[in-house]
Amino acid sequence: MSLIEFAHVDFAYGARNVIRDLDACIFENQCIAVVGPNGAGKTTLLRLAAGTLTPACGEVSLKDRNLRLLKQREIARSVAFVPQNVEVPFSFTVEQFVEQGRTPFLKIFGGLCGADYEAMRRAMELTDTWTLRSRVFNQLSGGERQRAKIALGLAQQPQLLLLDEPMQNLDIGRQFEMIDLIELLRSEGIAIVASMHDLALIEGTFSSVWLMSPDEPMRQGSPEEILRPEVLESAFNCQPHHRYRLTNRMRNRMEHVV
Amino acid sequence: MEVTRDNTAHDWTRKSRQPWLLVILATSIILAALIAAGIGAVRVPIALLLGHILHGGALSEDQRIILFSIRLPRIVASLLVGAALSVSGLLFQGLFRNPLADPYVIGSSGGAVLGASISVFLLPPISLAGFSTTALLAFVGALGSITLVYWLARVDGRTPAVALLLAGFAVSTMLSYSSYFLEVMDRDFGTGMRVLASWLHGTIAQPTWPQLGIVTLMLAIGLAGSVPLARNLNTLALGEEYATHLGLSVQQTRIAVIVIGSILTAAAVALGGLISFVGLIVPHMLRMVLGPDHVRLLPATALFGALFLLVADTAARTAIAPAELPVGVLTALIGGPFFLYLLRKTKQGGLS
Repeated sequence: MSLIEFAHVDFAYGARNVIRDLDACIFENQCIAVVGPNGAGKTTLLRLAAGTLTPACGEVSLKDRNLRLLKQREIARSVAFVPQNVEVPFSFTVEQFVEQGRTPFLKIFGGLCGADYEAMRRAMELTDTWTLRSRVFNQLSGGERQRAKIALGLAQQPQLLLLDEPMQNLDIGRQFEMIDLIELLRSEGIAIVASMHDLALIEGTFSSVWLMSPDEPMRQGSPEEILRPEVLESAFNCQPHHRYRLTNRMRNRMEHVV
Repeated sequence: MEVTRDNTAHDWTRKSRQPWLLVILATSIILAALIAAGIGAVRVPIALLLGHILHGGALSEDQRIILFSIRLPRIVASLLVGAALSVSGLLFQGLFRNPLADPYVIGSSGGAVLGASISVFLLPPISLAGFSTTALLAFVGALGSITLVYWLARVDGRTPAVALLLAGFAVSTMLSYSSYFLEVMDRDFGTGMRVLASWLHGTIAQPTWPQLGIVTLMLAIGLAGSVPLARNLNTLALGEEYATHLGLSVQQTRIAVIVIGSILTAAAVALGGLISFVGLIVPHMLRMVLGPDHVRLLPATALFGALFLLVADTAARTAIAPAELPVGVLTALIGGPFFLYLLRKTKQGGLS
């Protein structure tokens, strides 16, 4: 059974169509990289899966249940969305920040119970943020902050983790650590969908690639099928005289993987 | 795989709630109240006071009247107003995700000024349940202008924070300046102005016990309503979209904060007029000690706000005796510099 199913989904911001007639499924144990040029709708797709956006037409369902009919609390217990940017106006500690991941489980007058602390601890151990827990979130480095955000998502004990540009603003060392973390979470049985800009980081970690392009239907395939110069060239609308660079970039990738 | 894990208190800062701070604050309030009861134009020695409370020691008739009809009501009033303003400030700072918000941020002050002006300049001095018409109309004006602001800021069933702030600013300014027309019409030239000015600067006048009962009830309702909201405000700090994703009903939380914050502000306005700075500074000072967790801040804010205003009001009525300062003048003159000092001392600056 699919975790998330998109059926004939259309979505538009005002008059601008972003997603048109999307059909796709996210299965358990899948690790999907969503790629595409800026404005192709990668974040929109993640938000549709998280239930924070509702499609104009068509349906998104979570384990065969229509998202429109589910409360956001229920969705958030299965699907965690880790946004690209989080601005916290107060100096919350990492622990207080991660605690917010328990929101979908808390009753209106209830406090945190043992199971909540267990989930938070597990989330922080997996992301290696346990030792950061009394640090102020706003004072963390980019890599630490990214891990704390993922810890918040894991505190929701999700079956599906949606990562919006998890590699954004990370140096190469931290990017490799993020790859390790994604592989670790995959081995924990959590399905992952991540929007990615750096195509060189996809192969070897992600099981499939969804290629979004403003004017074409979304293409799905394995990394080998999608990450080819002739496929990327039209989707990313590369100039013909950049073909050499693109081929070069992709060849380097292959050598890097081998 | 470990079977049980030891989630003991030292692992989690949440579990070590620091109740000592609440105990210290509560004790300080009792001490401050005793001292405040003792000092003034007629001194009542603290020993005599304690003797009366503990084993019914004799007080003279004068002392009894001064204590129970004048000083105690005023002490209780300043505690109530301080707690109400501080908690209201905490709620609005959390709602707007901005440590510079205060209880008057969404326009209550403008309506209160207009209401008070109508009473001072146009109406005969009558009272209802111990409240003067000034207090009542200020209360009604505060609630009325918040309702107007909320209605103006509402677009398609949502009330964006920015729209609330802008509408609050505009409505508040319009209403408070429109009271100028009433000042011009004042036949009894000057007297009304003086009354209004003292009210505008925040003065805890002589309250009656029924009055205090009503405000205590409002404060109790406000505090009880704030308890479940505190955790919601922590979640809201992550931003509207993220909070929505986590299952928080942002719109419901917003309405609840506005309703409860308004009840608290209006209750405070009815007893003390417009007292500046308390609602801004008290949550801020505690945030520097306790961190930004609203669950932890709420009880401490209520207690410290009460203590803060009791001390300020006692100083206001004794500093230049036999004359009295409006307490709002004192909170601004002392609170302001202290606030700036704290901001400079903690390097994190205003956004901590």
